[in-house]
Amino acid sequence: MKCPKCTEENAVESQFCRRCGAALQPPGAKARNAVLLVIALVVGVLAAAFVMAHSRSPSAGSATPAEPQSVKTADTRTVTHIGVAYGTEKRDWFTWAVDAFNRTPEAQDVQIDLMPMGSLEAAQAIVHGDQHIQVWSPASALYKNVFLRDWAAAHAGGNPIESEQQLALTPMVFVMWQQRYEPFAKKYPEVSFRTISSAMNEPGGWNTIANQPEWGFFKFSHTHPNQSNSGLVSLVLMAYDYQGTHRALSAGQITDPEFQKWLVGTERNQVGAASGLIDSTGTLMNAMVQRGWSTYDCVMVYESNAVERLREANGRWGELRVIYPRYNFWNDHPFYVLNVPWSTPAQRRAAGAFAKFLLSEQAQRQAMAHGFRPANVNVATNAADSPFVQYANVGVQVTVPGVFCEPPDANAIETLLLGWQRSQAGK
Amino acid sequence: MAVGRRSNGVFRIINAIFAIALGCIALACDRKSENQTDSSSGQSSGMPPAVTANQVEVLFVYGSEKQDWIDAVTPAFNSERHTLADGRLIHITTKPMGSGESKDDILAGRVQADVWSPASGLFVTLANAESQSKGGPLLKQTQNLVLSPVVIAMWKPMAEALGWPAKPIGWADIGALAAEKDAWANRGLSQFGPFKFGHTHPEYSNSGLIALLAETYAAAGKSRGLSLEDLQQPQVAATLHKIEHGVVHYGRSTGFFGKRLADFGPGYLSAAVVYENMVISSYANSAGGTPLVAIYPKEGTIWSDHPAGIVERPWVSEEKRAAGKIYLDYLRAPPQQRRALEMGFRPAEGDVGSPIDSAHGADPKQPSTILDTPSADVIAAAIQLWRREKKPSNVALVFDTSGSMNEQGKMRAAQEGAKALIQMMDPQDRLTLVPFSTEVRMGKPMEVGANRTQLLSAIDRLHADGGTNLYQAIAAADGAVMAAADGEHIDAIVVLTDGEDNGKSVTLDALLQRLSRETETGGVRIFTIGYGQSAQLDALRKIARQARGEFYTGETKNIIDVFRDVATFF
Repeated sequence: MKCPKCTEENAVESQFCRRCGAALQPPGAKARNAVLLVIALVVGVLAAAFVMAHSRSPSAGSATPAEPQSVKTADTRTVTHIGVAYGTEKRDWFTWAVDAFNRTPEAQDVQIDLMPMGSLEAAQAIVHGDQHIQVWSPASALYKNVFLRDWAAAHAGGNPIESEQQLALTPMVFVMWQQRYEPFAKKYPEVSFRTISSAMNEPGGWNTIANQPEWGFFKFSHTHPNQSNSGLVSLVLMAYDYQGTHRALSAGQITDPEFQKWLVGTERNQVGAASGLIDSTGTLMNAMVQRGWSTYDCVMVYESNAVERLREANGRWGELRVIYPRYNFWNDHPFYVLNVPWSTPAQRRAAGAFAKFLLSEQAQRQAMAHGFRPANVNVATNAADSPFVQYANVGVQVTVPGVFCEPPDANAIETLLLGWQRSQAGK
Repeated sequence: MAVGRRSNGVFRIINAIFAIALGCIALACDRKSENQTDSSSGQSSGMPPAVTANQVEVLFVYGSEKQDWIDAVTPAFNSERHTLADGRLIHITTKPMGSGESKDDILAGRVQADVWSPASGLFVTLANAESQSKGGPLLKQTQNLVLSPVVIAMWKPMAEALGWPAKPIGWADIGALAAEKDAWANRGLSQFGPFKFGHTHPEYSNSGLIALLAETYAAAGKSRGLSLEDLQQPQVAATLHKIEHGVVHYGRSTGFFGKRLADFGPGYLSAAVVYENMVISSYANSAGGTPLVAIYPKEGTIWSDHPAGIVERPWVSEEKRAAGKIYLDYLRAPPQQRRALEMGFRPAEGDVGSPIDSAHGADPKQPSTILDTPSADVIAAAIQLWRREKKPSNVALVFDTSGSMNEQGKMRAAQEGAKALIQMMDPQDRLTLVPFSTEVRMGKPMEVGANRTQLLSAIDRLHADGGTNLYQAIAAADGAVMAAADGEHIDAIVVLTDGEDNGKSVTLDALLQRLSRETETGGVRIFTIGYGQSAQLDALRKIARQARGEFYTGETKNIIDVFRDVATFF
């Protein structure tokens, strides 16, 4: 919803503008209020019944729809509900998109319920039969193979994905405070997992790195690999970086004792290693902006997270620096329309219409404003108003440098996660 | 065993080490002591809200550190008549509580909060861990409302004498000052007397626990990876001992230290561990006096981050959930965030500007680093070490046994309260019983550890009869405590009385003058409890203020809690 005062885009349910604080009200809301009140009385009863029926407890392995996916309104229209489980990095964009989609003819009789969930959390919810989810849109396809394997094991085969489309692209980036980046760059030849691991393990911390004892130890973090896609991607990139390759990461390379030793040494000195890693990339980036270099010298997040918060960071602590790792990974934000026992053809059609809208030029421009690289080639990333051009001075680039890594297979990913869990033991 | 004797109910309930460690801060950091009542924005205190059919009532329970801000912005929310999509009016009732206390109460269902915001994410971690067996996490998603780092507040001339702001100062420097004889005189500041340090009780207050961990890190020469082995090093215990012996007293409330610093000036405390926003807000009340500055310890500190979220419990209906989200959006919207900034908090959203600046004793680019939060077993071990090395107390209990104490069960309840105080004292503490009525009966100082049973029995044997020779009893107790003062103890008097002084030998003015002379050289802290309806509250308030202690009111139903609160100062 656009703020009438400053034009900032806000979440659809917001009552106040996040930038200027002005009260937000949908267009024509006052005129509609009287009508809505009458309708609400009638619809409310039906809606309440619907809400009560939609308790969030998943019923494992349930194959038959146990609740209605459509609700008849007072004027006998049938409203099709679709639940979209999506990665929280897309929250602002998707919130805008639902509001905008609702104003299109295709959205008539469709209600989209956004369900912000960690990518891995959503996959497990679907496998366990969460009947609220008809669409899954994680940050990347990295966990898809594990999901398909788990689904097949739990549901005796079958492909639970009817269709998939890439909505946008986002590489991973290191984000470092400029104040800390400059002395780091003097000491180390590049910003990579290897150099970051070295910096974290300097016994004298910043005193050794740059003669700055009051900066404490070098402080780095990524998100929780078991709960967040970006945490898992970070582990994959660590493995590729260590092995010096970008293809066919194997379980054998992951179980290599030297790599495991290095992984343990790196992970144990992360910020939050003792008390718990953050489970969402957006939250990690927020924490970096809120607490500054006191808590994080450097984090690994999606490029979109960094782009969205560059301005605010500058108003609090100072300038950020965006660095693309040598070994990178495209997060392609797939939109999986599920073909599961609890989804209906009407829901799948509605999901397809929403995907089509998300790929429209209008929605793709909005995605780019939030730091995503559009999947729709008609939206140019090198235009003057593109954030990839505007923020070139802090390291953001239109053309992403480095090599892009192949997603490992399900076995390698599980081995990697097991190795990471071992690195957490004994703290 | 000493620890066991001092433990309260929560510690007995919590079994896991992690729960023990964090449960130490769970007993309500920063609860207001005086009056012991809740306040409620947009509601009369203690009055249940009038809920109409067209209204959704939301209970917001939050850490009391941000009470001024919540009180400032919530009435406006209620008066602006925000509604749900269906037109129903949203009304917010607020309840400030200690973060640990609120966690326990919500988990037990005693307080049915719809939205919860403790002082720190530590409490969310702990609540969710404890909540796993009770139907899932207590909060699923949280967002920080405001932030504030823990700092060492120090008077500007003192900080400058230490080299501030050019020279970084840390926890180890505070330890060295505490151990140094005539620290201020050695730096040309003899007018400030000895170095006096304060932090809250680590078992009850978030900032107190952070202070303890920071001291322990400094003693171990580390800023991450504090281990059990570190805590067993003799120099760690020795350093902790030195720092703690500079402490004037402890206490449950960080706000208490912040307020007392501003009220009493450099003579009361040289430095105290508080939140940054308290240093900043002191400028609004300083009236041109000596300013405070925030020292961001060079070894690191910890943030108070005020996470907030919808409570995941059956009593939170869908409409309450939706209404709670609208209220949290409101708190995070720019006008309310700007109001928080004006009060010295760092906003969760938007720029950080004035008053977080050098003109208000703060530096928006600090802290430079943080301390790594240790594991739960290390935290528990640090608390055990603190119990051994903390500054012991030398306390006189002035206990009213006048005839009026026989009324309405007052005597029995007060005896139970006094016994609770004795139970919470450490073995190395000293206690002198001073029961009084018409006569003042001076007891002998007794070490609590060896005489706890005897002291408890003595309390049980007291009986009420006669008049109220209050001022003479306080003066006599003061003389005894001063005579035994050796600089190695927290010297204090706890006074309980239910009536007006009717003695003839000491007047209130004379008593206050005596206390005034003593305060200039350190003196004895006096904590007064006005018990029941007939207590002479104004006089008790003056005595506590003059002796830089604290004044309480109590009744039979809460007198045990009042005594327990007093015990957190020692």
